[in-house]
Amino acid sequence: MTDSILKIQAVRKTYVSVRTGDTIEALAGIDLEVPAGEFLAVVGPSGCGKSTLLSLVAGFTQPSAGEVLYRGQRVTGAGPERGVMFQDYALFPWRTVLGNIEFGPLARGVALTQRHARARELIRLVGLDGFENRYPHELSGGMRQRCALARMLANDPEIWLMDEPLAAVDQQTRTILQDELLRLWGDAARRPGAPTVIFVTHAIDEAVLLADRVVVLARRPGRIKAVIDIPLPRPRPAQRGSPQFAALVAQVWDLIRDEAAKAIVEEIDR
Amino acid sequence: MSRRRSKILVVSALAVLLLAWEGAVVLTGAQASWPFPSGIIRSGFAITADGTLLVALAGSLQRVITGFLVGALVGIPTGIAMGLLPWVNLAMRPVTESLRSIAPIAWIPLAILWLGVQGNAALFVVAYAAVFPFILNAAQAARAVDRNHLRAARALGAGPGLILRAVVVPSTLPTIFTAARIALAIAWSSIIAAELALGVKIESGGRSVAGLGQLMVATLYVKRDVNALVFGMLVIGLVSFLIDAVLRRLRDTLLPWARR
Repeated sequence: MTDSILKIQAVRKTYVSVRTGDTIEALAGIDLEVPAGEFLAVVGPSGCGKSTLLSLVAGFTQPSAGEVLYRGQRVTGAGPERGVMFQDYALFPWRTVLGNIEFGPLARGVALTQRHARARELIRLVGLDGFENRYPHELSGGMRQRCALARMLANDPEIWLMDEPLAAVDQQTRTILQDELLRLWGDAARRPGAPTVIFVTHAIDEAVLLADRVVVLARRPGRIKAVIDIPLPRPRPAQRGSPQFAALVAQVWDLIRDEAAKAIVEEIDR
Repeated sequence: MSRRRSKILVVSALAVLLLAWEGAVVLTGAQASWPFPSGIIRSGFAITADGTLLVALAGSLQRVITGFLVGALVGIPTGIAMGLLPWVNLAMRPVTESLRSIAPIAWIPLAILWLGVQGNAALFVVAYAAVFPFILNAAQAARAVDRNHLRAARALGAGPGLILRAVVVPSTLPTIFTAARIALAIAWSSIIAAELALGVKIESGGRSVAGLGQLMVATLYVKRDVNALVFGMLVIGLVSFLIDAVLRRLRDTLLPWARR
């Protein structure tokens, strides 16, 4: 087995609710190793701590106990080798498409001509040609999503941390973007040094379609309920609708159905 | 009602009102202490033609703009620091809260004592009036910076300096423009009040330091021209309107992404 790029060891995360003052256990005892180059999906009902897990790996927050090790080093903060894509995209509204995409290279001190060249290359890659000078509010949901993806890619991160990046677009756009994401990651031909992906989603079919492994989280407290290998052949887009694909989706769904039902009831209680 | 007919109605109502006003003042022979439309126009032409109005307007505007800029230069960094750093907020809050409850024009006697009547006293009052809208709005905007924007910048490799420059400051700019509009409106009304209070000691050393407020005082007590006084009032309102229009235009030009 290849070396793990990421090791999550006995990680717990608790926080105090601002509203009630109660201590909430978001994650309890998470152990997970992610080999370099793997596409890992994380699914689970709302409130299972999926986003918290991603924040810990990104270095936005620190675990209450346990360790997150990235290439053997304890994660203490954010870094450009770990790219993040947010559910709401978090594009800078005051920067144009080009300005957003070149932000990472700018932050790393890349010279103007080089970072513009890199940004234009990515703009072509994600299909935003002609929109370089538009502001985010002038773009459609799918275009913003592409812009956020290109911004993350501009730093050539080793690991892509993606927090429900396709949740806010319609079904057709979503299907197209899933295919593009796979293409950018290297679905057809896995190259050496290919990026590692941690992809948080609530859509089980999406997790099965994209990932090598699917981590199923349980809630209250958030913990790993199962890790399921997805042995479907790549490239994956052709697998949509295959019997094995449907069987795997059903298998994951069986694991989280009860949890999801509980989540709905508690959602009402709150 | 058609647009043309409603326009005719508005214009004729206004004309009737002005005629009635004119008639009432002229027929009762009260022109000495009551302004009337034709008199306002005549006096307005007179003080515009001989340059006194323009000189006074330029003096007031110059001090308003200088005071406004001082207020912005002091207020914006102070506000952003208060918004970002809890300890600065704790230290500064009692000072800003207590000072801002004191009306700017209440400082006029002290300002005159310290700075004299030459115009710097009015400048001080204007800067004082302008600084608080900047502090309060900048602090509030700096606290409200989107957490994900900060996280995104950090994940892209940005350090504190770049985050301040490229995330915090642009996030606060729309609110700061709102603050600028409030500050200029307050500054403009404060300068008139300050100049009225400073009064007629204007032509000191042959060099005019007069503003619109002083011109109004002089008009009333020296020239006894109520019509020119009212014309001054109209100019004050017009300038206030124009300043706000310029700021709104500036905001749309400089912050195209914040337009809605």
